[in-house]
Amino acid sequence: MNEIPVGSKARIVTYTQHDSFTERLREFGLIPGTIIRLLRKAPFNGPVEIQFRSSRIVLRPNEVTHMLLERIA
Amino acid sequence: MPSILDAVSSHTPRLTAALVGTPNCGKSTIFNALTGMRQKVGNFPGVTVEPKSGEVHIDKTTTRLFDLPGMYSLTPKTPDEALSVTVLHGEHDALPKPDAVVFVMEGTNLEKSLFLYAQFAALNIPTVVAVTMIDGIKASGGVFDDIAMEQALGVPIVGIVGHKGIGLEELREHIALRGFSRPEAAENQIPVSEGIEAQYQWARALAGEVARMPELDSLTTKLDAVFLHPVAGPVVFLAVMLLFFQSIFAWATPVMDAIEAGFGSLQNLVDAVLPAGVAQDLLSRGVIAGVGAVVVFLPQILILTLFITLLEDFGYLARAAFMVDRVMGVFGLQGRSFIPLLSSFACAIPGIMSARIIASEKDRLTTILITPLMTCSARLPVYVLLITAFVPPTMLGGFLSLQGLVLMGLYFLGGLSGLLVAKVFKVTMFQGTKLPFLMELPPYRFPTWRSVFLTLFHRTKQFLTSAGTTILTLSIILWALGEFPKHQAPPEASPIQAASLQLEHSALGTIGKTLEPVFAPIGFDWKVTIGVLGSFAAREVFVSVMGQVYSVDVSESDENLRTVLRSAISLPTALSILVFYVYALQCMSTIAVMKRETGSWKYPVLAFGYTLLMAYGASLLVFHGARSLWG
Repeated sequence: MNEIPVGSKARIVTYTQHDSFTERLREFGLIPGTIIRLLRKAPFNGPVEIQFRSSRIVLRPNEVTHMLLERIA
Repeated sequence: MPSILDAVSSHTPRLTAALVGTPNCGKSTIFNALTGMRQKVGNFPGVTVEPKSGEVHIDKTTTRLFDLPGMYSLTPKTPDEALSVTVLHGEHDALPKPDAVVFVMEGTNLEKSLFLYAQFAALNIPTVVAVTMIDGIKASGGVFDDIAMEQALGVPIVGIVGHKGIGLEELREHIALRGFSRPEAAENQIPVSEGIEAQYQWARALAGEVARMPELDSLTTKLDAVFLHPVAGPVVFLAVMLLFFQSIFAWATPVMDAIEAGFGSLQNLVDAVLPAGVAQDLLSRGVIAGVGAVVVFLPQILILTLFITLLEDFGYLARAAFMVDRVMGVFGLQGRSFIPLLSSFACAIPGIMSARIIASEKDRLTTILITPLMTCSARLPVYVLLITAFVPPTMLGGFLSLQGLVLMGLYFLGGLSGLLVAKVFKVTMFQGTKLPFLMELPPYRFPTWRSVFLTLFHRTKQFLTSAGTTILTLSIILWALGEFPKHQAPPEASPIQAASLQLEHSALGTIGKTLEPVFAPIGFDWKVTIGVLGSFAAREVFVSVMGQVYSVDVSESDENLRTVLRSAISLPTALSILVFYVYALQCMSTIAVMKRETGSWKYPVLAFGYTLLMAYGASLLVFHGARSLWG
């Protein structure tokens, strides 16, 4: 997540661990195959806003360690 | 399709129904529209969290409606969600399993709602689905196919446009006629137990079939470009915060003055009508003075509730949480903690309750523990009294009021201390695994005035009843402690001197003198001690006790009390009192709510203990520091 520049897209490949946090991410609709776009980063290494389908969510990139992404644009 | 009068017997006069849906789906608007003024602020003993409930009367039928907190799935991750799931499973101690459910779906984000429905359908509760914001679909050139959706879900569908009232009548009819169906009719199509991925694929396919809409709401994109801009975003945030604090102090004052004047004339009226004696004294100085001292905070609480409700309904609070997350992270908290802490500047009680939105239990408990350090509106009268008595009304640079700066400093001291305490809790008792920060940014929406009005109405009702009864009882107890045992004043004493002597020899005076040695190191004499002790019931009591103790008018705006205080109390003592009030948790209601929300006495006791220690320690430092500086 840290490596994706603002404005670009990525596809969720898989989750490398199953816990209640990755379960919640999937319940939000971030299931494998979903394409996400990094909308913005808060200053000073703060949280990021990502957009997918009709949702926008914010999270801390260094806490999303078990989501495997592949850049597509 | 099954009969519209399905399993729920049409003979049942009363029915319990629950509103179910994802967070931000428009549930509260529907709840307010259906129940209107007939809402009850639930208070079930022994329950950690409680939902709002209300009654819907249609055509002589009565339905009890519960507004269950929003949830993303039936596998709860927050206390809020856990409550909803427990109720739906019929496993709640105090709430019945609902006979029927009004399932609210967000028209502009159907797939998320449909995903929840896929899990919910397994419970097979009679249901009607209300799809909100269908105007949003249509306005953007989309289509909403309710017939296809009805077939796919196996339950009736009602399209709603909340702020225009469209569809509400139809929904009311469904509730009145018990027009609910069990989702079993469509059970072959709904993947009720096939895992998240399969459920989402079903939800996405169905959402694509029944509604066509553009990917993102363009208004939200435009507004976020400003509100979340690296430069403009923080500027807007600071402006909003400034307006927030300005509203507490500036806008509420005229109304508060009017309320004080009203209670003052009521007191005069009682004094004039009733013969002098115990009855007149109890009513005038016990009941009216005590209750008046609390009711005077209603304007502030309403303005703050209005402000927070508007910001929340509009969708700005979630943005603010995003922007402050980094700062909160420094203190071991997360962006979500910002919302309860902001509310606590009005009153710690709604602050503690709104901490339910925090998924991580450790972060939630830490947030709850520091809410008492956020300066609530009850401290304001104490601050105002002492600041106006001891700080000269100098203007710095011609426009900055020194009194205002001291006041701001006290707010800042409380807030910063709270964050530092949070850090201490996070590295000691609440360390270890934490649930990561994750939050949805809902689309911006214009609040419906009806809904905002109802929120204010119910807040007023709640404040006047619950706070009013506690304060009333305490006022009478305090009054009685000050009146008895009776002391016979010498005949040459003036009435004021007699009152002063009475207090000194009363039970209250004895208590103050007994405890004086404990508070002497921080500069409190027995009179201040009584005020501080009275404040453990409610902080604002300090002002009225000072008024009684110094035998002058109780009103804080009275010039006399200030003049008297300036000569009776030294500056180091005054500073020591101020610092004591910044830290000490002197509010029984806060303690009670903390117990209820955490389900244990451990946390309120901890909060009470650590704030008292901080208060005493800081006062000790300030008192002796000030004394060595100014003698």
